[in-house]
Amino acid sequence: MTDIIWCKKEIGGKPCNTVNYLDPYCFWNWEGKTACAECGTVYYIHMIQGHMYEGPIEKPGEEPDMRPLYADKPLEGYANYLPGIEGRTRPYHCLPRHIYLGKADMVKFSIRGRPVRGWRPQPPSAGVAGSFGYFWDIEKLSPEVWEEYQEKLKKGEVKDW
Amino acid sequence: MDWEKEINKMKVCDFDELPGPKSKEELEEMKMPFEEYCKKVFDVGNEFVKPDALKGIRWLSTTMYIFTPHSVTNLAELGAECIKVEMPRMGDPMRHTSPFNEAYLYPLHDTRPMSGTGLGFTNANSNEYYITMDYHVPEAKKLFYNLVKMSDGLTECYRHGTFDRWQQGYRTLMEINPRFIYVWGGGFGYGPKIFGGSYDILGQAHAGLASVTGAHEDFGGHATKATNWCIDWYSGSQITTAILAALYWRSKTGLGTMIEFSQVQAATRCLGYTAPLYGKFGIVRQRWGNWDTQLCVHGIVMTGKTDFPDAINPQDKFESRYVVLSAFQDADFQELCNIIKKPDLFSRYKTHKERVGAPAQIEIYKAIEDWAADKTRSEVVRIFRDAGLLAMPVMNDREVYESEHFRIRGTVRWNDDPLFGDVLIQSAYSAGLMSRTPRKHKWLWRPVGADNVKIYHELLGVPMSKIKELYEKGIL
Repeated sequence: MTDIIWCKKEIGGKPCNTVNYLDPYCFWNWEGKTACAECGTVYYIHMIQGHMYEGPIEKPGEEPDMRPLYADKPLEGYANYLPGIEGRTRPYHCLPRHIYLGKADMVKFSIRGRPVRGWRPQPPSAGVAGSFGYFWDIEKLSPEVWEEYQEKLKKGEVKDW
Repeated sequence: MDWEKEINKMKVCDFDELPGPKSKEELEEMKMPFEEYCKKVFDVGNEFVKPDALKGIRWLSTTMYIFTPHSVTNLAELGAECIKVEMPRMGDPMRHTSPFNEAYLYPLHDTRPMSGTGLGFTNANSNEYYITMDYHVPEAKKLFYNLVKMSDGLTECYRHGTFDRWQQGYRTLMEINPRFIYVWGGGFGYGPKIFGGSYDILGQAHAGLASVTGAHEDFGGHATKATNWCIDWYSGSQITTAILAALYWRSKTGLGTMIEFSQVQAATRCLGYTAPLYGKFGIVRQRWGNWDTQLCVHGIVMTGKTDFPDAINPQDKFESRYVVLSAFQDADFQELCNIIKKPDLFSRYKTHKERVGAPAQIEIYKAIEDWAADKTRSEVVRIFRDAGLLAMPVMNDREVYESEHFRIRGTVRWNDDPLFGDVLIQSAYSAGLMSRTPRKHKWLWRPVGADNVKIYHELLGVPMSKIKELYEKGIL
């Protein structure tokens, strides 16, 4: 942990009392404005080697450059703001994040552009007791993919290797 | 003479007019270069015009995951008719053990439109027929026994004595079919750990393989497992060897065999001299990571720059900077020292015995990496190859795909799967080539129970109405 900003800003007659965690990954050597996750008060800070060299100094009316990673309220039973909450804590921008959002990449074509049966849901196509034939009639079972494939063929997007 | 004239009349052609060599010397001259010969006899890409070596063998696979299934797919690739028996509607758990992010191929089964089979299933089950069966039901047991009567053998992977308890172990099946070859691929096998199931990682750990894999703790390393399940694949192939031996034995004696195969035991075989070393000297072998305990220089070094700094994929962007170097003979080592501008290293470690010791290796590999700190992987490879030394970049998956060598040999190829479409595979073609009866990849796998009708109706003669009834009851 680099440092924290314990926000004492008076909100509605009592202090905000939110602890904003400045993670070393981003704040270790950093100068700029950050904001309290609870009340949004903007603070100027300058950190050198994880040490709060200057600040926090309130900068009312200005926009923060980067938000804290995480914040909690230890005096109120540890209510907290987890990472990635828009407008409060820092959103994820790291490379792998987009693949962990729960949206699967439904691949319909292989890397050389030919159809591969890799999407769902599939229409029921088995016979007695779940039996399958030896030919996947893509034109009949997945006409929309077949159409897309014909377009790819026309555009020359289908390769041999 | 008259008889000479008669013989000349009988000749259909003149030997001298025939094409081809006329003398032994000419024959030698006309022989094609070995490279051409290999291309012709192996004829990569045209495997399907050649016969199957194991045609006529029928094998049952009551297996799961990789280890035991792989032993059967080896047979299937060589032409045996292999029938995989799976749990109704669910299938082998390996179907559901996929790499990340929808690496599935659909369908799995009509009752589960949102489930697919994970790519982790690949290579362990190709070319097989897929049926479903719940062994616990007496009606199914009868079908199972009928299959055993009509098959040459079975591979199973259940825990110690499970099939025996279910009245379908070797002791029961040999009474039904004395020619039956039975494989129990237990994790630990019989012995004090009979209750232990096994995974590849257990095999690597229990056999001592993981303890000698990875860098030494002095260099920040830890006991390491191989990323892929290499002991599963390896043990499966070992089972296939045993099956082929049992088939040969049966051709002579007419009798089947029970093969018991412990995965953790198989992993000890990879350890080479480790056991005799301990037996003779009491020395417990240590990890030595990317270097070699018996040869120096013979290891993997890291260069300072990657080959693809602008790539998006981290495997390309950051990791394309490892090189295998081999220069352990005196002359080669001298050349290496000249290249890295450290001739004094050679004067200090002139003999192999001197440079193979640990302190010498630490100094030598550090000197090489210091020299390579401002070079890319391909620069280092080029410099060493130009000097006649062995150097090879450590390639990633994409580079294997792009590799001309593998493409020409057909190791990695595209297959138009009859059910799943365009799939890149290595499968059968990553094993050895055979000129007359090559391995073949026919299909990746099939959905759960896809061949129920083919096997139960067409092979065993079960009426279709009965099949439907069993399917509705959840027995098939």
